[in-house]
Amino acid sequence: MPLKTPINPGKVVWSGENHGMLLKAAPDGPWTALALFFRLYYSPAGSGTALLLYEEPDLAESLPRACNVMISDNEPMARYLMSDFVARLGNSPFGTAPAFPAVQFVALEESHASGDPGSRFSEVVRAPGIDVELVWDGLGTPRALELPKELTGGKENDLFTLLVESRRPAIVLNGRTLPGEPVARVQAGIETTTAFLYFSETWIAPG
Amino acid sequence: MSERVPVNPGRVEWAGNNPGIYLRDSADGPWTALAVYFHIVLSPRGRGRTMIVLGEPDRAEGLAANNVCLTDNHDLTRYLLEGFVSKFPSFRGKAGLDAMSWHDLERVHIEDALPARYTMSAAAPQVQAVMTLEALGEPFPVEVTPETSATGAHDMYSVFLEAKAASIAVNGTRLRGRVTDRQFFGKTMSTAFLALSETWVSPLAAG
Repeated sequence: MPLKTPINPGKVVWSGENHGMLLKAAPDGPWTALALFFRLYYSPAGSGTALLLYEEPDLAESLPRACNVMISDNEPMARYLMSDFVARLGNSPFGTAPAFPAVQFVALEESHASGDPGSRFSEVVRAPGIDVELVWDGLGTPRALELPKELTGGKENDLFTLLVESRRPAIVLNGRTLPGEPVARVQAGIETTTAFLYFSETWIAPG
Repeated sequence: MSERVPVNPGRVEWAGNNPGIYLRDSADGPWTALAVYFHIVLSPRGRGRTMIVLGEPDRAEGLAANNVCLTDNHDLTRYLLEGFVSKFPSFRGKAGLDAMSWHDLERVHIEDALPARYTMSAAAPQVQAVMTLEALGEPFPVEVTPETSATGAHDMYSVFLEAKAASIAVNGTRLRGRVTDRQFFGKTMSTAFLALSETWVSPLAAG
């Protein structure tokens, strides 16, 4: 699309931050822990904070056996994200893991960010009996991406986003670091990892 | 760049939310009050929040003229002023920008009642400043190049929501002026806006 049209004719689907990490014990093994964090400034279901966490991605159960949960301060937004975003992420394990349909929705008590995406960054999310710290360390150079829908997981909407990759992420659940490490992936020709910070992320339904 | 490309090769400057309110008495008159709020989530000077209000933009005085800057990261604010705000057409050459008084920001409260209202309240020991956007429209994605960006030097991605009405208050006093219309890339739009998920990028030097 030529830049003579600075106002994109598409419709904003949602906009905000969308950090995540997908961890494996071995590059060819199963996913051992997954986390996807949202801080939305705009969506059809309002703004808010949400964390999708799969302590055991291959287990089709939730609390109390496994912390496979969607924690949020805006449940309609969280349900919107699960049905209209996560479920449509193509072959992403967030939408295809056995844990996905078993997820319980949990009310968020507290959340805050700390650190800096230039060095080490973390998000803390707390709910009754659940204390999660997501840590992104070994951070890369920020890169502004503008992806046509064909280059996205869902292949449905265009995307503006700002990627900062992480080489040393961790999911700490109630004081215990969940097993696994990030693995290699390629996004829009960039060799990166399955641990990422995405700031200024906007999904756009093509006009 | 003459074409949109998936991976912008330029250097990311900053990312965050950046609403603004520009008021005057008549559509062709001088600005009577200006306000801009930055919630920066990524920059070379760290993260932080800044609210700049010029109650009398053309007067070289600080708090007595309601020309104030509230910030929790002075270094970041100096970076934003030097490279961005001072180059925005509405702020360029304004005596109040150089003379404004600086205050340590203690807290910010955002009240998101979109689309009816979006309020940003900033508090420092001597100053409370409030920016209120009302009657907001549908969000639309924007992407500009140096030829059309507010600084004349950057690529910029953003989501804009136009506000049909807006007000600025300092220490309980509502500042003079009203929202007027302006041309925004061929679209008639008001001088008050909520800008979300912005990313500013310095293009690579030619050659």
